[in-house]
This record gives sequence, C-alpha cells and structure tokens, in this order.
Amino acid sequence: MFGGYSSKKKVIERYKIIGFISSGTYGRVYKAQGKHGQVGEFAIKKFKPDKEGEIQYTGISQSAIREMALCTELSHPNVVHTVEIILEDKCIYIVFEYAEHDLLQIIHHHNQVTRQAIPARTIKSILYQLLQGLVYLHKNWVMHRDLKPANIMVTSAGKVKIGDLGLARLFYKPLHSLFTGDKVVVTIWYRAPELLLGSRHYTPAVDLWAVGCIFAELLSLRPIFKGEEAKMDSKKTVPFQRNQMQRIVEILGMPTKERWPLLASMPEYPHLNSLASGNPRIHRPVSLEKWYEQNLRNNRYPEGQSKDSPGAEGLSLLQALLEYDPQKRLTAEKALSHPYFSAHDERLKPSDNCFEGSSIEYPNRRVSQEDNDIRTSSLPGTKRSGLPDDSIIGRPAKRLKEG
Amino acid sequence: MAASYWDSTQRKYWTFTKQQLSVERRKLEEAERALVLQFPLPDRRLLSIYFYHQLAKLARPLGVRQQALATAQVYVRRFYTKVEIRKTNPTLVLATALYLACKMEECPQHIRIISAETRHCWDMPLNDTSKIGECEFTLISEMNSQLIIHHPYRSLHELQAQFQLTQEENSLAWSIINDHYLTDLPLLYAPHVIAITAMFLAVVLKPAQGGPQLHAAGVATALQTLGNTRQTTAPGAQNRIQKLVNWLAESSVDIEAVVDCTQELISLYEIWELFTDKNCKDQIAKFVKARGLDK
Repeated sequence: MFGGYSSKKKVIERYKIIGFISSGTYGRVYKAQGKHGQVGEFAIKKFKPDKEGEIQYTGISQSAIREMALCTELSHPNVVHTVEIILEDKCIYIVFEYAEHDLLQIIHHHNQVTRQAIPARTIKSILYQLLQGLVYLHKNWVMHRDLKPANIMVTSAGKVKIGDLGLARLFYKPLHSLFTGDKVVVTIWYRAPELLLGSRHYTPAVDLWAVGCIFAELLSLRPIFKGEEAKMDSKKTVPFQRNQMQRIVEILGMPTKERWPLLASMPEYPHLNSLASGNPRIHRPVSLEKWYEQNLRNNRYPEGQSKDSPGAEGLSLLQALLEYDPQKRLTAEKALSHPYFSAHDERLKPSDNCFEGSSIEYPNRRVSQEDNDIRTSSLPGTKRSGLPDDSIIGRPAKRLKEG
Repeated sequence: MAASYWDSTQRKYWTFTKQQLSVERRKLEEAERALVLQFPLPDRRLLSIYFYHQLAKLARPLGVRQQALATAQVYVRRFYTKVEIRKTNPTLVLATALYLACKMEECPQHIRIISAETRHCWDMPLNDTSKIGECEFTLISEMNSQLIIHHPYRSLHELQAQFQLTQEENSLAWSIINDHYLTDLPLLYAPHVIAITAMFLAVVLKPAQGGPQLHAAGVATALQTLGNTRQTTAPGAQNRIQKLVNWLAESSVDIEAVVDCTQELISLYEIWELFTDKNCKDQIAKFVKARGLDK
C-alpha cells in the first residue's frame, strides 16, 4: 500500500543508543540518550519480530499490541512513563523514561554486597508507592499480572514505577474467560494460589498476592515461595504447579474451605490432598508469624516498636496480602490505608522518595557496550514464561496454509 | 482510560467538533488535489455506509464479536481522518482494521484467517499476509498507538439498569448504537452521549410500532418530542418519556449534543435509502486499479 510502510520517526535519528540493558522473550531493552534537544535518558524496548531476521511483516503479537495500547493510555507517577512508540523496519520500539534501579537489583545489592537489611522506611515507601500505582491500574481496569521485583523500577530520586505491561490487560467484562488467552501468567514465585489451582476467572487480587510476595522478599531478601516450575508437556497442557503450591503451604498451612469458601470449586483442588504425601513440612507449617519473626531477627531489625522495624503492623499487612481467599485479600486501595503506613506518625504519609534518610549507595544499572545477543538465564525471577498469545487461539486451519 | 473516558486518548485526541473534522478533511483533499479531481468519489456519508457494510460482511463468517467489529469501524474512520482515501487500498485497510481490532478486543483471529476470508469475501487476492502485517504498522502509526476505544454499549448497559428498559427497548437502543458507526458520530461525541441518544430514541419510538426498523421520519418525530418536552410542560407526554427528559434536564448531559446526534441519525436513515454498494465499489475500484494500489 502506498509504496510500503515507512516510519516518519527514526529511532536512530532521535536517540543515541548508549548500550544494552537486558533481554527477554519479547526482545531487548537498551539505554539511550535523547538527541536534538530531547533531554535525558531513556530505556528503549525493542520487540523482536517473531522470527529473528524476518524479512516479511508477520503481524504484531497480541501482547505487544496490548502493551502499546496500555502504554499510550496510562499516565501515573508510579507507572513507568511512555515517551513514544516508534514503528520502524518491522520492529516496534517503545521509549520509556529511564529508571536507574529496580527492586531485583536493590534486593541483590543488600543480599550479596552489603549483607544488610533494607531500611524499614525504604521498604515502607516502596510499598506505598507501588500500591498507589496499583490502585491507579486497577481503577482503570488494568491487571498487571506479572508483578515481580525485576518489573518494579526505582529512579535515582527514589520514585517507584511499575514497569513492563507486557502481560497486563483490561479486565472489564472480558469477551472470553481470562483463562483462554494466556494460560500462564505471573512468574511462578509470585503466582497467586487461585492461579496455581487453575482458577479461570481470576481478578486483580492476583496482583496483591504478588505485592505480598514482594513485601516478604524486601524484608528477607529472598523469594518467600521459591518453587520450581513444572514445565508444560508436549501437548501444551498446563501442569499443576505442585512444588510451588508446596512452598506456600509449608509456610501458610493448607488452605481450608472455612477460610476460602470457593476452594473446593477450583479445578486443581483434587491435587491439594496429595501435596502432603512424603512432605512432613506440610503438616507442620512454619506459619507466617514465625517466618516473619525469624526473618526480622535474621536481618537485625530492632525488636519491639521502632520506626526502624516493620513492626507488628508489617506482619498484619503481609498476612492480609498473602490471604488465600482472593475475595478476602486486601485490595490495593484498602492496603494503602493499612495501619502499617500510618504507624509511628498518623499525620505523615510514607515518603515519596524511598531513599529518603538512607545513605546507602546503589550501583547504577549495568549497561553493556556490546550489543551482542546475551542469553538470559531462565530463572523465573529474570525471565517470563513463554506465552501462547494468539498463535494458539487463532491457529489457522490446515487447509489455509497453502495460500 | 478503560474506566474513565475523561482521561482517555479518545477524548483528548480523537473527538472532534464538526468544524475540526471538516478542516482536517479539507486539508487532506487539498494536499492531493490532482488525485481528488481525477478520481471523484461518492458522498462521504455513502462511503462511510459502504465501509460499514464491507467490514460487517467480512466479520460475519469469522464470528467476530460486536465490540471488536465496532472497534474496527472506529479505526477505519480515525485512519481516514489522517490519510486520503485515494492513496490507500480501502479493502486492505478494512481487513487490517478488523485484524487489529480483534487482537485489541481479546478475540484474536490469525492473520492467515483474515487474509483468506478477505480473498473469499471480496474476491480480492491479498496474496500474502505480509500486506496486512505492513498495513497494520501504518494503521497503528497513524493512530499513534492509541488503540483503546470506548464504546457506547457499556454506557447503555448502565442506563438499562437505571431506567429499567424493556428487552425490546434495549435491543432497539443497541441497534441504534450499531447504526451510529455508519456515520461520523463516533468521532464527534462521547460514548455516553451516543448511548443516551440511542436510549431516548428507543423509548420514544416504542419498538412496537413497526418493529426495530428505523426510519428517518420516525426519528424526526422523536426529535420533535425531545423539542417539545424541553419546554418542560408537555401535556399528554407519556410518563416515561417525561421522566427521561426530566432526568436529561437535571443531568449534566448536553441536550444540544443529543439533539445533534439525533439529527445525524435522521440524515443517515435518509441517505441510507439511496445507498447502493455498486456505486461506491466501482468508484473505489477505479483509483485502486489505476494507481496499482492492490499490488
């Protein structure tokens, strides 16, 4: 059509690529500087074509379409800002504001480098900002569905920004059950129990479970439920994530029908009974209280009431987020008014700079100068599970293939 | 966005006044004056009806949901506010709009299915799917990646509960909303204004009279009702209509906009009677063929 598509905007003319940041199943992320009066640093996400080196247009994946549409529409201080989207040479580039840090990197720094706990007020500010971003998303009927430390950006000014809307989608009256689209959502360690039990109509509550897991990880510097992912078999049926469910039950104990009335109607419910076999820890769960106490002690948070400790309110918030029943789980909005955020001084909200009062220096994001094809590890914390996208739903009938 | 039309890109960038819309269109035509003179086209309103029919024809055998079809209709109308029709292959634009809308509305169709159906439906050899893939880039780029569309169906759903519309009224209102995609209305008014107009017409026209088929004359009568009742005392006006009008008057809804939407619909129902596929099809085929846009 009209002599082929040619972009009015060219990435290279508008940005100077400084280096490579990371890659995933979607493509790669680069750090860039603005040119021609465009001031500042940017992160440019380049979606790779379906097949590397593809010479023809093959149609854009549904998740890229979702991300582009959501990115242009959303605007909130705690959601990564999209500067522009450029379609050029069969590739899609989404230009984001640059954030020097992310939670994965911050946790890593404390765990591996300083070997010190993250200051309690830093954690409080991070959670407060994260929840504000989430309230905004949920109010706008957007479920993130892939919250994890690597996707929560932090700028050098201590502003927390939810990033990577690659799995996000609208949940207002979906045409299909949400289950039909993407069979696998949320990196397994942060996956809510209703998803593990095969729920078909899940809700924004899955994001709050993930926030609970992130909160726990900020406190202990390790993923709280570090299960092993069961892979899809050759028929692409989704297996029951037994190991992940075990990790949860070992701490929280078995979910019960009393606490979670709809439990028995979960498709994978029958698997639950078999969890305990050969795993005595299932019968004697640690309990979240114990886990919390232990980790606070290990990470040397002061005992008793102190503004340098997440305190009893922290446990209460964590319990309300890691609630089995999605209907009882705290909503993002309710979480914001939890006493944890107002303890010690009711008049003061947590700072909107998570580094305030902290003298810890975090290293800058690693930027590689060589733009070679760096393979990412397949650890759940760093890479998302493969998504079927429209290739599964709309798989063409055989007879159409010859065209 | 999804919850709030007020913060949406639709309101900010894709809702025009009539004047703005005609200025934009004049600019496009003036930039391509030679083309415009060389290839005359039917009235824009007829073309709009034609595009609507063609999209619906393509979508039907694929079982595409109403909402995805509606989104595709809006994409086509947005696109042609930015690009002169005679520079495009409309068939390709329509097929691509449907392909993109299905992905956006979470009921994706494979690009090869769309391509095959296009060939079948319009007897048009879109030989390779890469044409649709390329046109998708053009569409998204011209629309600035602003792909989320707010439709009046949801507002109608809310109104239905509020005013306890009967089944017939609701389905009549629904089909009036369907009809508004044949016009410029999706580019001119907020979805709730369209929904209120549709509801108002549905209640006034009473589906019982003549079934759900709408006529310009019927709608004109409805408009008169709206005019009369605006002077608050309308003796003999039915209670429901009165209630509706009172509500309209008290709400912050712009009555002028509702009147204007109604007039636009009257104009549609009038011109629809004159519409034939063939004229549009032939005129479009002329410039597509002559300019090799289907290659």
